[in-house]
Amino acid sequence: MKSSALSSTRAPGSTVERRGRRRHQAKKIVQDLLKHCLIIGVGLFFALPMLWMVATSFKADRDVFHTPLRLLPYVNTMVTVNGEQLPLYDVKFGDQVRQLALVKLQESIGDFVDPHDPTQTFPNVRMKFAEPIMQVGFRWQNYIDAMNYNPRSASGATIFTYLRNSLIICLFGIIGTTASCAVVAYGFARINFPGRNLLFIFVMGTIMLPFQAIMIPQYVLFNDVFHWGNTFLPLIVPQFFGNAYDIFLLRQFYRTIPEELCDAARIDGASELDIFARVVIPLSTPALAVVMITTFLFNWNDFQGPLIYLTSPKIFTMALGLADFQGQRQILWNMLMAASTVFTIPIIIAFFFAQKQFIQGIKLTGIKE
Amino acid sequence: MSASPAARIEHAYNPFTWSKRTRRSFQLGMLFLSPWLIGFLIFALYPMVASLIYSFNDFSFHQALKWVGLKNYIDLFQDKYFWIALANTGYIVVIGVPLILVFSFSCAVLLNLKVPGQSIYRVLYYIPAIVPLVASTLLWIWVLNPQYGLLNTALGFVGIDGPNWFRDPNWSKPALLLLALWGTGNTMIIYLSGLQDVPVHLLEAAELDGANWWQRMRHVTIPMVSPITVYNLIIGMIVIFQYFTQAYIFSRVSSANYAGQSPIGQPLNSTLFYSIYLYQNGFQFLKMGYASAMAWILFLVILACTVVSLRVSERYTYYSG
Repeated sequence: MKSSALSSTRAPGSTVERRGRRRHQAKKIVQDLLKHCLIIGVGLFFALPMLWMVATSFKADRDVFHTPLRLLPYVNTMVTVNGEQLPLYDVKFGDQVRQLALVKLQESIGDFVDPHDPTQTFPNVRMKFAEPIMQVGFRWQNYIDAMNYNPRSASGATIFTYLRNSLIICLFGIIGTTASCAVVAYGFARINFPGRNLLFIFVMGTIMLPFQAIMIPQYVLFNDVFHWGNTFLPLIVPQFFGNAYDIFLLRQFYRTIPEELCDAARIDGASELDIFARVVIPLSTPALAVVMITTFLFNWNDFQGPLIYLTSPKIFTMALGLADFQGQRQILWNMLMAASTVFTIPIIIAFFFAQKQFIQGIKLTGIKE
Repeated sequence: MSASPAARIEHAYNPFTWSKRTRRSFQLGMLFLSPWLIGFLIFALYPMVASLIYSFNDFSFHQALKWVGLKNYIDLFQDKYFWIALANTGYIVVIGVPLILVFSFSCAVLLNLKVPGQSIYRVLYYIPAIVPLVASTLLWIWVLNPQYGLLNTALGFVGIDGPNWFRDPNWSKPALLLLALWGTGNTMIIYLSGLQDVPVHLLEAAELDGANWWQRMRHVTIPMVSPITVYNLIIGMIVIFQYFTQAYIFSRVSSANYAGQSPIGQPLNSTLFYSIYLYQNGFQFLKMGYASAMAWILFLVILACTVVSLRVSERYTYYSG
């Protein structure tokens, strides 16, 4: 950096100047390389676990616990024998090894056939002499199995049930939060009345209020007084009454809309409600989109609320169902990772469609988890 | 209108002195605020008052309140697990929050470098933050599997014998912190936008004066983003004090190793965080009065920490505008 300031004082085209520039370029290349190495190095910390999740989701059961660890998923190589897809094995006969296809497997004894000469069969081979031939491949079956996997078979709930429940809560949460916060924020941004600033301090103060501090009375209220036990209502209804983050976000946005627009409408005889619905709301779609995205994220992620209120598996959300998935004795990591991937994909898709709103949402409200 | 500010305030808050116009705008304001007002009364103010009352009672679901005075609070201070939970939470607040801030800031500095393909790196660094908490926690339990996990294998390549992470009470909290660092994208983005707002002319002036990279960072960039640090610190503290989901799921996974016992807080209560113990008291032991006392202490601690960090930071923060 310093050398560039110096070299510019030398006569252009001189040998010294050229040498200086070349040295400067070399230094810049080294610096750029170092920067890339650093960014990629730290990037591995973020990227590898994601890849590991997806890779594990495609692995066969025995491949999950393979040592040494392999990043990529492997599947049994298949061959076509007489129009049938059969798995290929290395079978040991004494000190001789042959590649054979498995036709039938019965209690650690298998019938094999030579794929090159189907007439040649090898019945009753002990499977301990046979080693499957593996190749890199993706076991999509895991996803089908995971979607139908049922840790609580009596309830009849599957991941599809959980997905549906999550979507229902998200949908109503988005409607409720957007509608209520849009209205309330307008009151704070555009109507000048005594006590407004004091009330706004109360709104912001609720950010400090931990969920744990209010969850027990809320639970008693919703269950004993409203009789909402084991329904979505305790999770959905409070969202129709606004929340501090989104009220703050929309208030900030409304304040950027020129007052003259509203005054013009006022002169034309529009009421405050007209101005809100016909002038401010149409101009606020970008901010409303941010609210919708963050609300979707919040509801999709929420764990503690559903944990307290949803008790029967039929109304579990995805977050709850996934935590329940591993509550069993043995952890089926490939299935669990497949289910986790399914759980994550909607958000990744939403992110790529609405990257700008995601980033704005974070910048304006920080966190909402 | 009266001149003194005190009188003006009294005028503003005394409805009998309002003009017709003020009264109308007040009614209109209340109309727009009504969803929040109703929600605040039912879902925030009432529960706060109720939990204060519960905290002085012996109370359980479906049962009548039984006044016990300060007994819940006295019991709490004699409860071994309360102090363990408080210490564990203190650990992740005192170590975790600064660690997250430093790490996010460093990542934001990397993402603010002018290199080709930077937008791809930014997406890469950010994506883990949008993975749902339950999924990312499960993923990290798998990544940190002592035998088959990604991290210990990677450590093995460089000749380090990785720890047992979640099965070792000394390593379970660092394991949770790793997970927290992995999903720190939001804090990172806030820092990045702050870095982009640092005036270029200040950096250039410092450079002309011969300040090297570190000096510019130390004396220009870090002071300029200090309001963001305060914001991240306070929000980070509020979130970490309520740390629940990750620890709960961790414990569930290790439940196979602790057959018969309540798995929560294992191994050896090293992941028994405040919110976890509160949940356990309220919804598993059904000691709701006791849990409410815990809730109020948590609220007061968060309030105190927020106020103290705001006060302290006032002295060190630079506000340009």
